[in-house]
Amino acid sequence: MSVLLRVENVTKRFGGLVAVDNVSFTLEKGEFLGLIGPNGAGKTTLFNVINGVYKPEEGRIIFKGIDITKKPAHQIARLGVARTYQVVKPFSDMTVVENAMIGALFGKKAGKISITEARDIAMNMIELVGLKDKAEVLAASLTLHEKKKLEVARALSAEPDLLLLDEVLAGLNPKEIEESLKIISRAKEKLDFTVIMVEHVMHAVMNIAERIIVLHYGKKIADGSPQEVANEPEVITAYLGEPELALKFVKRLRREGE
Amino acid sequence: MKIGFEDILEYLKRPTLAIILIVIIAIGAMRAFHVTTLDTLILLSYFIGVAASLNIIMGFAGYVSFGHAVFIGIGAYIYMLSVYFNPLLNTLQHSGFGVGIIIVSILAAIVAAIVAGVVGGVVLRLRGAFFAIATIGLDFTVLYIIKAVVPDLDPDYFFGAQIILPKRCIVSKSDIFNAIYITLIAVMITNYIIKRSRFGAGLVAIREDEDAAESLGVPTAKYKTLAFALSAFFTAMLGAIFFLNGGGVDEMAFSLGKSIDMIVMIIIGGLGTVIGPIIGGIIYYWLYDTLLVHYPGVNLIILGIIVALIILFAPEGIVGIIRKRTFRGLKLRDLLE
Repeated sequence: MSVLLRVENVTKRFGGLVAVDNVSFTLEKGEFLGLIGPNGAGKTTLFNVINGVYKPEEGRIIFKGIDITKKPAHQIARLGVARTYQVVKPFSDMTVVENAMIGALFGKKAGKISITEARDIAMNMIELVGLKDKAEVLAASLTLHEKKKLEVARALSAEPDLLLLDEVLAGLNPKEIEESLKIISRAKEKLDFTVIMVEHVMHAVMNIAERIIVLHYGKKIADGSPQEVANEPEVITAYLGEPELALKFVKRLRREGE
Repeated sequence: MKIGFEDILEYLKRPTLAIILIVIIAIGAMRAFHVTTLDTLILLSYFIGVAASLNIIMGFAGYVSFGHAVFIGIGAYIYMLSVYFNPLLNTLQHSGFGVGIIIVSILAAIVAAIVAGVVGGVVLRLRGAFFAIATIGLDFTVLYIIKAVVPDLDPDYFFGAQIILPKRCIVSKSDIFNAIYITLIAVMITNYIIKRSRFGAGLVAIREDEDAAESLGVPTAKYKTLAFALSAFFTAMLGAIFFLNGGGVDEMAFSLGKSIDMIVMIIIGGLGTVIGPIIGGIIYYWLYDTLLVHYPGVNLIILGIIVALIILFAPEGIVGIIRKRTFRGLKLRDLLE
């Protein structure tokens, strides 16, 4: 396996607030990384730094051997990084297939494919996420679940090497979560890309991700398999407060369970 | 790509292109059979043309340029000064049954496009109302630069910076019509091509959500600037030819009313569609003309009320309303692209 993404000592500040604090990690091609942490841990900021929305104050980001730290977002997208948004951002006055076509027209194959080819790619991706029968519907009229699926389809249409999923499960009911997870696994299997997934729905991310990184106040506090991370005292503290208190809490839960 | 006869037939089945063709043929026929005066046809072509020009930045990219008259002014002034002071360009504009006029107005339009490109690179970072205000600022800035720079050719004229073309610079109305007619066709075709191109798709994505567009790979800054410059280019060409028909130019070329005319036409017709500005231009011209004839004095008051009612009850414009309907199971949206 080869290294796809290398995040080196990245720091991003907003005024006095350090949103991402000296974070480093490497991502191998084909990995499925879950990025978790309490509210305000800097997960979305890290996404924004990787895909070029924010420029970090310190550190570098190397993607496919290219330093993308200072590149504008659209160039990074063309190199093969696609993302979805936590708060969905559909192109409301376009149909579902037109939304996905934007991904195809300006993604990795930008300028190399015709409108018709882009439409074919878009249709495939829409079918993959299960929106085929809504292809000609205006994006504005979709439900939240459908809009989230559209976000994924639009990002996939760019045929990315790295897909950044920002809370695609938030706000969905358990049945929808299950369906979304299936769609993501299926797409990854079929299209062979690498994923970083920011997620609050803990059981979901623990199940689907092979590796988890935990951020807390912008710092990386754990990095490993879901089991390793779940047993890390620092992680438990971050989520539940004091470790002794947390331990008591967990014990009480167990007692109540019995 | 090979284009065969079938492809052309297929193209003609598209209502958008058919409507463009009908407008082109109708205006051409009215000219050929002397149905109405040349002034009427020139004014009509100007109205449709500037609406279609503004549509490129405001309709597709969603940036409301409230001071778009600045490009009418730049076009008109550069044109007048060129033919007034340069005998060569004056000879040129008299030649080729209107082709000369087009060439000189393209020169003026290039200046406008450069101004739009340079200024757009900065002001297009502003969004929404801030961009609109910045364009009004641009309008006034350029106007005062022109008032300071343009020699006072008529000291008796109150407003200053007025240029009245002498007899040697006056061209025939027939040539002017040819020039504005060809320019109108060019603007409409440009709109049509943009709408069906990757560039157009990118612009609409910018209008719908600029951040999402950028992160999907749309070079938003470049596209917006390009759209603004293209829009300025055609506006300036039409402005130059329109004022040439009036035989001169004064600071009214920069007036806010001219900007508002354009915006209102697009809104009446339907933002971001190819035929919206065309239909809006025709309706607005018709309203403007009828009201002026029948109710001189209060015509603008009535026009204002009608426009307010349209914006209140049909904010998506005429084409916008039709687009949402289905006709015998056929989605009209697909037809009107």
